[in-house]
Amino acid sequence: MTDFNDLTDLDRPLPVERSFSRPFWDATRERRLLLQYDRVAQAFQFYPRPTSIYTGRASTLEWREVSGEGSIFSYTIARRARPPFRGHEPFWLALVTLDEGVNVMSNVIQCAAGQMQIGMRVRPHWAPLSDGRHLLLFRPAEGGSPSG
Amino acid sequence: MALHDAAIIAYAETKIVPVSDRDIWQLGADILEQLLDRSGHEKGEIDGLILSASLTGAGNPFWSQATADALSLELDFCQTVDIGGCSPLGAVARASAAIDAGFATSVLCLYADTAVAEATARARSFGQEWTTPLGYIGPPAAFGLLTRYYEEKFALDHRALGKLAVTQREHAILNDLACEKLRKPITIEDYLQSRVINDPVRLLDSVMPCDGASGLLVTGRRAAEKRGLTRCVVPVGYGERTNYQASRALVDPTETGHSVAGDRCFAQAGLTPRDIASFHPYDDFIIAIMMQLEMLGFCPHGQGSAFIRETDFGFAGDVPLNTGGGQISAGQAGLAGGGTNLVEAVRQLFGDGGARQVTNTRNALVTGIGGIPYGRNWNSSAAMILTPDA
Repeated sequence: MTDFNDLTDLDRPLPVERSFSRPFWDATRERRLLLQYDRVAQAFQFYPRPTSIYTGRASTLEWREVSGEGSIFSYTIARRARPPFRGHEPFWLALVTLDEGVNVMSNVIQCAAGQMQIGMRVRPHWAPLSDGRHLLLFRPAEGGSPSG
Repeated sequence: MALHDAAIIAYAETKIVPVSDRDIWQLGADILEQLLDRSGHEKGEIDGLILSASLTGAGNPFWSQATADALSLELDFCQTVDIGGCSPLGAVARASAAIDAGFATSVLCLYADTAVAEATARARSFGQEWTTPLGYIGPPAAFGLLTRYYEEKFALDHRALGKLAVTQREHAILNDLACEKLRKPITIEDYLQSRVINDPVRLLDSVMPCDGASGLLVTGRRAAEKRGLTRCVVPVGYGERTNYQASRALVDPTETGHSVAGDRCFAQAGLTPRDIASFHPYDDFIIAIMMQLEMLGFCPHGQGSAFIRETDFGFAGDVPLNTGGGQISAGQAGLAGGGTNLVEAVRQLFGDGGARQVTNTRNALVTGIGGIPYGRNWNSSAAMILTPDA
C-alpha cells in the first residue's frame, strides 16, 4: 500500500513526563487529547508548558479536551534516523496544525508518497507505548482505517 | 555607546579537523598563545574570559572556571555564553559591556569545541518529551520541515541554493584552516544530486560536524590606542533576539529573529544592507543563508532565490559571502562554529585575507543562529557589524 514505514513494530523511546505535562500524558492512557487553553488570551498552546505563552502566568491556563483533527502544516521525509528508528526509513515527520490553532510534531502513518501535501486533512491515531500511555500520531482523514 | 568603545585587537584560529587528537584545553592554549603573540599582551594582562558553550564541556557546571584553571588565567570576570551559534558574537557584545562597566580591561573570547572527539552534553530540552519518540534527529529534520514550508509558500530555486554552496566551497579551497576533506571543488549539479537526508534537505546543504577552536582578544578602544596598536576592529552595531515570537502558538518558520536583531544592529551602526562590504552569516544549512539575506533586508521576504541569482558572492564580487568557506565548507567546530565566520570577518578587516582578501574592507556583517526550538526556526538570532579602526 505504501513505501513509507508506519513505525508500528517499533519500541519507541518513552517520552519523559514533567510535573506540568502529566495531565496530557495521563489522558493519553484513555486515548484522549488534552491541550492547554489560556482563558485570558482565549487561545490554545502546544507543547504543554509550565506557564502560559500568552500571559506568563500558570493561573490563566486550563486543560481542554480536543478532537485531534487538523491539517498538514509542513512535512519532511526522514531518510536517516538513529536507533531504534534506524532501518525503518523512510517515514513521515510532519507538523500538524490542529483545528484549535496549534502545531504538533508527529509521524503520519498510512500515507503514500503521492498522498502527502501541505494542507491535507489528518485525524489522530493513538500508538500504544510500553507503559500504557499512547503517542499521538496522525493518518490521512480520507482513506485511512479506523483509529487504533 | 559602549559597543563602539570596544576593540578587537587580535584573532586566532586552529585548523578545523573531522576529529581532534588534541584536547579542548590544548586547543584553547593554542588560541591563547596566538593571541598573546599577535596582541603583544602578557598572559597576566588578560583579566576577562568569555567562552562559547561547548558540547565537550557542557556537562561541567563550572566550565569557565575550569578552563581558566587549565589555562592558568587569573581573572576579574568570566562566564560561558550559551546561546548556541550566536555565542561567539554574544561573547564580543558581553566583553564590550564588561569592559564598559569596568569589570575587565582585556577579555579573551575563546570558542573551542571538540564535540566529535568528546561530547559530554546532556541537554535538557523539549526533545526527550516531544520529538525523540518520533524519530526526529534534530536540525536536519527541522530544516526539512522549514524548507518544505518555504517551497510551498514562495518560489524556491534549488539551483540558487547550489550557487551559494559552490561559492562557499571555492572560498574554502583558498582557506588553509578549513577542513581538508571539504577543500574540493563542487558544481551546482553535485549539489543538486547529493544525497537527500530530510526532504528536501541534501547532504551538501548541511554542515559537517568537526572539531576546532578560534578566539579574539577584546580591549577598550582607548586602551588599544594607548598601547600603540595600529590595527583593530570595532563592533559598531549588535542585535540579539532569543525566542522570536514566543507568545504565538503558530509562527511562520521562514521569519526569524534576524528581522529584529538586524534592525537594531543596522540602526546602531548607522548603516543599511546596501552599505555592507562583506557578509559572514552563520551557516548550518544553505537555506539559512538565504533566509538571513531576506530577514536582514538585503532583499524582500520570499525573494531570496532571485537575489542570489543576481548577486556575485565571490570574495571579489558584489557581496562577498563567508570568504573562509563558511561552516558548510570549512567544517562546523561544534558549538564553537560561530567563531569561524566571525574570525574570518575580523581577518578580512585586518587585511589578512591573502588569496581571498576582499577589496572593500569598510565593514563586515556577521550573524549567529543558535538552537532549534519546537517546530519553529531557531532559538536565537544575532547580528553584528564590525569596522576597522586603525
